[in-house]
Amino acid sequence: MTEEINPKEITDFLKPKMGARFKTWVEICTHCGMCADTCHFYLASGNDPKMIPSYKVRFLKELLKKKGRVDKAYLEEIYKTVYYECNMCRRCTLYCPFGIDIALLISLLRGLLHSQGIVPEGLLKSIENYKEFGNQMAVSKEDWVETLEWCEEETAEELVGLKIPIDKKGAKIMYTVNAREPKFYPQDIMEVAKIFHVAGEDWTFPSEKGWDDTNLAMFASDVETARIVAENTFKRADELEVEKIAITE
Amino acid sequence: MDFYSFVEGPLLWIAFLTFIIGTVMRIAMFLAISRKRDQVMYRYFSWKYVFATLGRWLLPLNKDVAKNPVFAILVYVFHICLLVVPIWLSGHIILWEESRFGWSWSPIPESWADWMTLVLLGIAVFFFLRRLISPDIRLISTLSDYLLIAVTALPFMTGYFLTHGTLDGIAFLGDNMQLIHMLAGELMLILIPLTRLSHAVLFFFSRAATGIEIGRRGYSM
Repeated sequence: MTEEINPKEITDFLKPKMGARFKTWVEICTHCGMCADTCHFYLASGNDPKMIPSYKVRFLKELLKKKGRVDKAYLEEIYKTVYYECNMCRRCTLYCPFGIDIALLISLLRGLLHSQGIVPEGLLKSIENYKEFGNQMAVSKEDWVETLEWCEEETAEELVGLKIPIDKKGAKIMYTVNAREPKFYPQDIMEVAKIFHVAGEDWTFPSEKGWDDTNLAMFASDVETARIVAENTFKRADELEVEKIAITE
Repeated sequence: MDFYSFVEGPLLWIAFLTFIIGTVMRIAMFLAISRKRDQVMYRYFSWKYVFATLGRWLLPLNKDVAKNPVFAILVYVFHICLLVVPIWLSGHIILWEESRFGWSWSPIPESWADWMTLVLLGIAVFFFLRRLISPDIRLISTLSDYLLIAVTALPFMTGYFLTHGTLDGIAFLGDNMQLIHMLAGELMLILIPLTRLSHAVLFFFSRAATGIEIGRRGYSM
């Protein structure tokens, strides 16, 4: 595991992202240890010192100091920490006297790994799906619309007159779902259609990209894709001239 | 000019100017870089959250005091002594009165200064041992963490020796304690803007930035 890494790529990625807060945080942490027992990974591992939040972000300081001159094994070490020892819950931030936002530093490291092509396999697949289909489950537009249509058909047998409106311009609410719903749990869509119907709400689904309200690209700090995913939803809302966007639970 | 006059004169100026210009630069850099790269801070800027979060953490009204009262109180006491003793020590005020500035203010009683110095030194030793002994803190400590505790404690230790003549029996130290004390103070002043001692000023900015972020989300500040 001594595969070479291009240090310039690493510094080029980090430098423009090291804002005033990140620079300050990397610099002023006095390693007081107040964050240690705020971390559930620390507590769940029987107080393993390696799980101290302050320790987990040492990589960022080291990467800057070494000007990106690290090897693949080092990046793998970062990977283990930022994906398996921190879920960016921000509890340590609430206890840091300086308010150092460790989760944001971890997020920056995840972004760096993403730029180096190091991302958990499942997450990478989802990101590719977002880029191609606009949703994490690779549901095509045809499948999506068809699913909504037969959901409407079946639910209307129970509640006569029930509609699942698609692309209804000027509706009050544009409803969005988790892509798992059309893929695996269409009954969720049917349930929500019943609620909207009985409540007499003026609602609609968009047929085009933007109906998946999950944004898993964010978890890999793939900012470009995360931005596209969010923008899709807002674009549809603008097109359909709806008042509100509602998201599934 | 002999070494003593250099330390008492030009070096003192260098130390104070490094401290003042350096810390001002740190603040200016924070503001300049944040304008470009931390827009989120300004977009959601709120004096309410800035004051709320600074108040909570400058006073012992925060979550750490509840979670870890002994350590938190020691940290507060340490910082109070650190600020009060050098500024309000009568021996220092006399030097300001005699200086070209002629500034003067009321000192704290000598006995207070003595006790506060000893308390500060005691806590510094505790911080040092805590780093060495606690497996948690030892892992996250770097060499500079140990050195900076020494840098911070040294002016107080030498100041105590100087005012009490504790080590006067030892020839070199007895003769040069004032010199050593000045050097120790100057070293600390110079290192404040250059090391993580810069938290003396950057604390306010980091705290405020996070206060804005967690305040608007309604988390506990």
